[in-house]
Amino acid sequence: MTTNKIEIKDLTVNYIENKKSFNALHNVSFGVGKGEFVSVIGASGCGKSTLLSVLEGLYAPAGGTVQIDGKELHGTGTERGVVFQHYSLFPWMTTKKNIEFGIKQSRHDVKRSERGKIAEEFLTKVGLKGFGSKYPSQLSGGMQQRAAIARALAMNTEILLMDEPFSAIDAKNRVLLQELLLNLWEGDGVEERKTVVFVTHDIDEAILLSDKIVVLTAHPGTVNEIVNVPFERPRSRAELVKTDEYAKFRNRLLSLLYNDIAERIGGDEVVL
Amino acid sequence: MTIKKRYLRIVHILFIAFLFIQLLPDKAAYPVYTSLLIKFAVGAEIVVLIGSALVKKEGSLALLVDIVGFLFVFLAVWSLVTAKYNYLNPQLFPAPGKIVHQFVEDRDKIWTNVKSSLLTIIKGFLLATAIAVPLGLFIGWSARIGSAATYITKFFSSIPPIVYIPYGIALLPTFKSVSVFVIFLATFWPVFAGTMSGVLGVDKKIIDSAKVLNVGKPEMLFRVILPASLHQIFLGCNQGLSVSFILLTSAEMIAAKDGMGYYVKYYSDFGDYTRTITGLLVIGSVVIGVTFLFNKLQSSLLRWKR
Repeated sequence: MTTNKIEIKDLTVNYIENKKSFNALHNVSFGVGKGEFVSVIGASGCGKSTLLSVLEGLYAPAGGTVQIDGKELHGTGTERGVVFQHYSLFPWMTTKKNIEFGIKQSRHDVKRSERGKIAEEFLTKVGLKGFGSKYPSQLSGGMQQRAAIARALAMNTEILLMDEPFSAIDAKNRVLLQELLLNLWEGDGVEERKTVVFVTHDIDEAILLSDKIVVLTAHPGTVNEIVNVPFERPRSRAELVKTDEYAKFRNRLLSLLYNDIAERIGGDEVVL
Repeated sequence: MTIKKRYLRIVHILFIAFLFIQLLPDKAAYPVYTSLLIKFAVGAEIVVLIGSALVKKEGSLALLVDIVGFLFVFLAVWSLVTAKYNYLNPQLFPAPGKIVHQFVEDRDKIWTNVKSSLLTIIKGFLLATAIAVPLGLFIGWSARIGSAATYITKFFSSIPPIVYIPYGIALLPTFKSVSVFVIFLATFWPVFAGTMSGVLGVDKKIIDSAKVLNVGKPEMLFRVILPASLHQIFLGCNQGLSVSFILLTSAEMIAAKDGMGYYVKYYSDFGDYTRTITGLLVIGSVVIGVTFLFNKLQSSLLRWKR
């Protein structure tokens, strides 16, 4: 058996809300290889964000295990960098200070004087050169997410966890951010790629970015299917969307998502 | 700003009108120190001119100009009804020049009293915030005691701090220490309550965001929770500060041997209303000055908020 960077086995998570416990994830198992980009998609309420908060170390599972490099996960860790949908950055620190703070937390070998230089370098990489002295509230939502990505990358963690990082961004900027992330992650082929778990409800986003897509079904969240994305890298959205393969693949994913919803419409619960 | 916007202001017309009014003959039967009043007004005009040349923000300049303009109108009317036409009882309503004269004459005494009041406030206030903020952070952060602490704080902050005075006098050796003690209490509870409600209200997303960065406990408290609750802390501080001034001046009127409240009370007992009014105006200026500086500090520390 190949050793995965992240190995999730029979993960079960219960949520307690209004004193009632409900099953958010049930027996979820999948692995994420080293340097692999894996997306988790599913309708809202399928537990995909819950899954990520377990990986972040913010939420303890009721059953099953999560292993990173063969070691069981307990709590948060400096080998994982996180980008949230909101508030990844501290609003009282400038963009640059935010990045420096991240570096300080994860890279103890980096000297204080070097942090500023690294921060500038990553700000430039995400297209925010000259915005280092701005506070997050002075930036647009898209720029805030760019800065959050810059911090996560500057922290140079082996694993990146991204929880719907682009879903609050307008359509045009979302496309730009997806391409930015794609380019930064694919890199120049020299550096080792990071292991990414990316949660989204956007099918096109998942296809463009991922090596592998985990489709979750809701109530309780279980793995419906794990699909390998067959398109070669480096990818370009413009090229990709023109092909018939893309349309076919997209339809297949859509039907995986909608089958699930259709089944539930037949039951006593209507979600649409 | 254009030159026109900087220097072409109605305040200068008001200044000239004020000067003309001062040329009218004095009818009052007591010295009204018109030349001193004119010097004071010229000083204010110079402040406006320097401000016009240096102040960068249009809004702040407009504010300065409007305030001084109001001052000119006020002084002009005041001198008309007193020094110039003698409409008002000179005992209760001394002419403005007389107040300026009194201020100049008493400046050492006034300064000593202001210093004494301010020192008492600063001691009590700093001591209270230095204890209330860290304590509020710790207790607010340990969420379980947090809710019980909220009720206990509500109980103590509902006691008007002035009722501690008699007990404080029994408890402590000097009037000074009683004043510091009462100001401490007046500041402690609102700041403590503000800090706790700030901590309890910090967005969970911010805390998660800090947790995934693996921040240690001291950093969590002082680099994350503290700035996140700073707004609420300042609300408490502002409340504490304004109550402190009210308390201190009232306490000084009851029992002190110095301080601004003492100055006002002492001279009004002798019917010296010139000094009483001088004292009132000084207290007003000191409170405004301290509040202004404190708000500056607040907006500079909270500049990251929209």
